[in-house]
Amino acid sequence: MQRILTYRFVATPSRKSPASHWLAIAAGLTALFVAIPLVYIFLRAAGAEAAAWQRLLQARIWQLLGNTLLLVFAVTCGALATGISMAWLTERTDLPGRNILRAMLALPLAIPAYIGGIVHLALLRPRGGLIPQALEGIFGQPVLTPSPLGFWGSAFILTLFTYPYVYLLSGAAFRSLHASLEEAARSLGRTPWQTFWQVTLPALRPGIMAGALLVALDILAEYGTVALLRYETFSSAIFVQLAGRYDRSAASVLSAVLVGLAIFILWAELRAQGQRRFTQIESNWRPARRIALGKWRWLAFLLVAGVVSASLLVPLGVLVGWSIQAFVDAQVLEAVFRTGSRGFSSFVWNSLWTSSLAAFLAVVLSLPVALFSVRYPSRASRFIARFCQVGYALPGVVIALSLVLLVNRALPFLYATPLVVVLAYVLRHMPQAVRSSESALNQLSPSLEEAARTLGRTPLQTLLQVTLPLILPGLLAGGALVFLTSLKELPATLLLRPPGFDTLAVRVWFWAAEGFYVQAAPAALILVLAAALPLAFLLRREQIFTDESANEHS
Amino acid sequence: MSHYRFLIVLLILVWGLTGCAPAAVAPTSAVVATQPPADAELPSAVSQTPADEVQGKLVIYSGRSEALIQPVLDAFKAKYPQIEILLKAGSNSELANALLEEAANPVADVFITTELFTVQSLATQDVFQSYLPADADQLPAEFIGQDLTWIGLTRRARVIMYNSELVSAQEAPKSIFELTDTKWKGQIAAAGTTNGSMQAQIAAMRQLLGEEATEEWLKGLLSNEVTFFGGHTDVRKAVGSGEFKIGLVNHYYFYLQQAEGSPVGVVFPDQGEGEIGLITNATAAGIVKGAPNLAAAQAFMDFLISPEGQKLFAELNYEYPLRAGVPLRQGVQPLEGFRLAAVDVVKAALDFEATFDLMERVGLP
Repeated sequence: MQRILTYRFVATPSRKSPASHWLAIAAGLTALFVAIPLVYIFLRAAGAEAAAWQRLLQARIWQLLGNTLLLVFAVTCGALATGISMAWLTERTDLPGRNILRAMLALPLAIPAYIGGIVHLALLRPRGGLIPQALEGIFGQPVLTPSPLGFWGSAFILTLFTYPYVYLLSGAAFRSLHASLEEAARSLGRTPWQTFWQVTLPALRPGIMAGALLVALDILAEYGTVALLRYETFSSAIFVQLAGRYDRSAASVLSAVLVGLAIFILWAELRAQGQRRFTQIESNWRPARRIALGKWRWLAFLLVAGVVSASLLVPLGVLVGWSIQAFVDAQVLEAVFRTGSRGFSSFVWNSLWTSSLAAFLAVVLSLPVALFSVRYPSRASRFIARFCQVGYALPGVVIALSLVLLVNRALPFLYATPLVVVLAYVLRHMPQAVRSSESALNQLSPSLEEAARTLGRTPLQTLLQVTLPLILPGLLAGGALVFLTSLKELPATLLLRPPGFDTLAVRVWFWAAEGFYVQAAPAALILVLAAALPLAFLLRREQIFTDESANEHS
Repeated sequence: MSHYRFLIVLLILVWGLTGCAPAAVAPTSAVVATQPPADAELPSAVSQTPADEVQGKLVIYSGRSEALIQPVLDAFKAKYPQIEILLKAGSNSELANALLEEAANPVADVFITTELFTVQSLATQDVFQSYLPADADQLPAEFIGQDLTWIGLTRRARVIMYNSELVSAQEAPKSIFELTDTKWKGQIAAAGTTNGSMQAQIAAMRQLLGEEATEEWLKGLLSNEVTFFGGHTDVRKAVGSGEFKIGLVNHYYFYLQQAEGSPVGVVFPDQGEGEIGLITNATAAGIVKGAPNLAAAQAFMDFLISPEGQKLFAELNYEYPLRAGVPLRQGVQPLEGFRLAAVDVVKAALDFEATFDLMERVGLP
């Protein structure tokens, strides 16, 4: 969810100032903080007994590697195909209802994939699901329905809930694309099809790649959905090692391989991004003309409506239906409000305060990193900013593993407190905060700060009185993103929460695991609604909802 | 040049971190090393504190799933309204390791497991303190841990449940060894390695049959494409709906599924001449050494084996209460009618590590 068009102001080369030293130290400390789980996991893996490696190398690692890569590949392809086609249909064609569909296609981001998985599983589970049972009731014999379990089921469900990354980023790219590019290609004799493949798609590549990267890293880290749908990947195998046997050596070895994979994907994306650049001249910009779909209009509408139904309307509808059922049934209602150690309001409150605190801390920590890399560009500052992206490559289970081991030994006073959960959220979601803060600072001309300095303000005063107020909206966006993703986080919360400490995500997971879908629904619904608020704020900021007439005259 | 100086500082800091980390990591084996239990302190006699004076937080680690323990906690809470109960439910081994990890700075007051090997193994590692609950004399002697470190609560049997619409009573497997028969290929569901009852069954089989025969059986299950779930609730529901024909579960999952109106049947397996007999195990509880709220922990232990507590387990969850004289829920087949496999708990607990190695080696999910 990065702004595609950023106005980059180049800072005047900095003279040595004491402020930059302090900034460098603060940014360096942040990088160190982020590095802790990573370094720790690699040390543990390297220190694991040879026997642990040997046992795992014999068969398991290869099978897990195959399973994980296959799923990452399938979901990334699925998300690319779905995301790009949805973006193209809503941005570039005269699809009926495109304005409302454009917003609805982005909203599945508010639904954690495992909640979507729970709904689809309850509906489609072979023989036991609501749909197969209804069909059996009608036809009097079992009817074969597609199963949401295993590889294909996992790939399908995860595609449904991750395509919005690609959709949002390629949608933004479609919107910012200059009409003249495609017009030139057409006037030079390319067919529309050739134009799309040879001009449009390559120009969209940075946005598409960024979306694909987010999807791939998300799938590597995914625990809830694959565990639910019984497909074993690295993340779920690590979780089993931790929960089943608590075999830290084996878990560390698997984690190191998983993090290695994630870092490889990050690196590959960086390489691919660096190869080609597309520059657009900002003046004379006008949007490309919409393509008339003609007789395909309604077929296209059905396609988009299908995606919106499967990823948004059906899950929401089922959750609302179950919630109503829960409120009608007194016994279930009592269970909803009494189960768990402290009751319903405490899960809601715990979810909200841990995610908010994590968002605040992540943004505060991201500030020195962003200031240092944007205002004092150097190899060191770039390295630190890059390094803070490492959270993307640290799945929740891995962060949980390293914190479990570290906190009890190094920070025993934090042990078994909710602050460990917050710490995990901050570490995991730091990259989002750093990217947002950087892009906010990039759009602020340093001349404003320089003017403040000339007028006698100290660097600290300048920061507080000029810089911060001006980049506040950008920081809020970063915070909203961290809040949203922390709210949805499951594996680290499951492993790190202290006794009696439940969040909405944990509650939904436990109830659904026992098959109490109706009981889980109100919590799931509140979780989705709480996630939808920051998402709506972000989408508004990215102008997803803007009226297209305004768009066309701009 | 300033950033070079900075890089050096960063390097030194990273160096310091990597240098410190191994030192900070105590080898887990040291914690795990068997220590003889400290001379049994005099068990605190029957707790005499009146109900409304016991208060504060009571932290319970439970290997029993939340759904199966919450009604009991609610009943206890009704008796002791001043106590705030904080539950952490998870797998036996996850919580056992947390207890070892926290030994220096205990968080939990009481630990409840779904089998005896974990409590027994923790008892030898000095995790529990001795306590003789109010009515401990009502429990069979073999279900009280050495030095009163733990007490047994309820018994459960490992049974085969089947979907009676898909499988007839004659057809249903009569022995757990029939589960490797290819005629059931892909039609059996069981719980995976995170499940304490499954772990305990494998540990018991290792003792009864030896390592090789158990390994062969596990490999047979794998090649028969048995589907392993995270827990038994999933298994019973899948068998109840007919997604799978056969499930390997604890006996009460059959009764729970039957109570939901599903067409299911049950076999208490391996009763024939020369067969191993029915494998059973027991849930147990112990008070953690250094428990922050000892009074509440003791009151809770008393409650667990009180007629009221035992009746809850029997009625709500169809288990076999260990306390003498507490009736079974109507319809539950009494254990007295079956030949039970004899498993030495102390020995099985000592061999528990080897059981995990075996599961890992065969690649049980």
